[in-house]
Amino acid sequence: MTSVSGDAPMEGAANAVALTDVALSYSGRSPVLDGVDFELPPGSSLCVLGPNGGGKTTLFRALTGELTPLRGRVRVDGRPAYLAQTERTRLDFPVSALDVALMGSLAHGRWWLPARRSDRVAAHGALERVGLENRSGDRFGELSGGQRQRVLLARALVQDARVLLLDEPLAGVDPASGERIEALFRELRDEGRTLLVSTHDVDSARAFDRVLCLNQRQIAFGNPSTVLTRAVLEQTYGDEIVVLDDDGSGGPVRAVTVQHHHH
Amino acid sequence: MILDYIYPVSLLASLPSPGDLVELPFMRTALIELTLLGVAGGLLGAWIVLRRLAFFAHAVGTATFPGLVVADATGFSATLAGLAVALGYAGGVERAGRAGRDPGDVATALALVVALALGVVLASDVFESGAAVDRLLFGTALGLDAADLWVAAGAAALALAATLLLGRAWTAAGFDAQGASAVGLPLRAADLLLLGLIATAAVAALPAVGALLVASLFVVPAATARQISRGIPALLAISVAIAVAQSALGLYVSLWLDVPPGPAVAVVGSMLYAVVALTRAALASVSDPVPVAETT
Repeated sequence: MTSVSGDAPMEGAANAVALTDVALSYSGRSPVLDGVDFELPPGSSLCVLGPNGGGKTTLFRALTGELTPLRGRVRVDGRPAYLAQTERTRLDFPVSALDVALMGSLAHGRWWLPARRSDRVAAHGALERVGLENRSGDRFGELSGGQRQRVLLARALVQDARVLLLDEPLAGVDPASGERIEALFRELRDEGRTLLVSTHDVDSARAFDRVLCLNQRQIAFGNPSTVLTRAVLEQTYGDEIVVLDDDGSGGPVRAVTVQHHHH
Repeated sequence: MILDYIYPVSLLASLPSPGDLVELPFMRTALIELTLLGVAGGLLGAWIVLRRLAFFAHAVGTATFPGLVVADATGFSATLAGLAVALGYAGGVERAGRAGRDPGDVATALALVVALALGVVLASDVFESGAAVDRLLFGTALGLDAADLWVAAGAAALALAATLLLGRAWTAAGFDAQGASAVGLPLRAADLLLLGLIATAAVAALPAVGALLVASLFVVPAATARQISRGIPALLAISVAIAVAQSALGLYVSLWLDVPPGPAVAVVGSMLYAVVALTRAALASVSDPVPVAETT
């Protein structure tokens, strides 16, 4: 258990991720995300919902250790892997799929030395696992969105991260690739890895073990059936949410988010 | 004869033998110096272009100008004075731009203007450097000595070792800084090493190409190579080949036209860049390839 903040590891540390009353801010200014408090056991999956600017990326920055909490404690089992939206990586960068997978080996220390043969074997193995061994020499930027996401997953596999943070992993991915990626997610969870996935797709949140709703503070955390209610979603998204079916029981609803463009 | 009065003809008639580059002792020294700097500039240039540090690489050379003026007037070692200013400059730029991850353009530009203005004031009003200013700004093929060669050899060796050892860290940081940081790469240490190395190698290039034209060796060849290489190993190899070739050709032009090597190398390099860019554009307009997207 790596303690991102605080010193002593949690007693009987069974959780893969544990945040205790966390407040986060940039450069010591007032918090942009407050009151975050949840725990995740190994092998579980969490869907992080919230509007743009709601704090999803800020939360991930705290989990990677890039951001030190203003208050509270952040604990993560080992060093998490972070998978950005692939459009945020440099698509013009002249690296192959294998080069990107190999970057995961930097997690094993010795960053000031060239990759070892065992690192290369691991990178080939990871690409094979995500079904891209035959594309290992292809330029990353020339792969499809779904293939790029799988290459980043391969990097996380080489890193052998116990906790994976995924930023909109299915955005701009065609359905066939999406299914393949979701199958990989299930495999990773079965291996005891913990997945935290941020998304705008409220409907997809039903498939996760837990849902966390953020809008500059923690609005709700729990099972999809208890969290995905009209009241919670309206608190989370304000007028960006459109509820599709609601039986009026106060229970879970189906909903989509809409982006408002302010001019 | 009438032909003597026609400038282009007399210019052609004065073409030196390419053999002069190795037969004339001072030219031989300059050729070795520029070849070594070509290796350093070609390798580091690839990282400079990939990490979008071209402006920094140009600025760090120019920033050494006040240090060189003081060293020239006081008899202090130009290398040590340049190194002190360049490393201080690199550290300052890294610190000023840390919030934005890459060295900030504004911080780079501000420090560049201050350094250049300070150098001009020192050269004109304090030390009255006179003719030395040209040499400090644009380099010289004359007067390069064994010490300069050793410094250039050191820069080439450092660039080669750093590329072999740190290449994958610089690649990971340039491709996806946040992902690399999450993997555990100490971004700041990796960036500082790169900036420090660029600053050190730029100082090694000062005697030959001068403070203003460091980019002719450290940016232009790699930018040309970037247009025609697909992977990083190819980029490194082509960048070094171009840097060495343009150095030799530039030195020949410098001997022919009796101009300092810095401007000659810069002009040859820029022309090569333009030829490659125009050729690529012409080929692209002829073939107009349609990329085939795969969606699985």
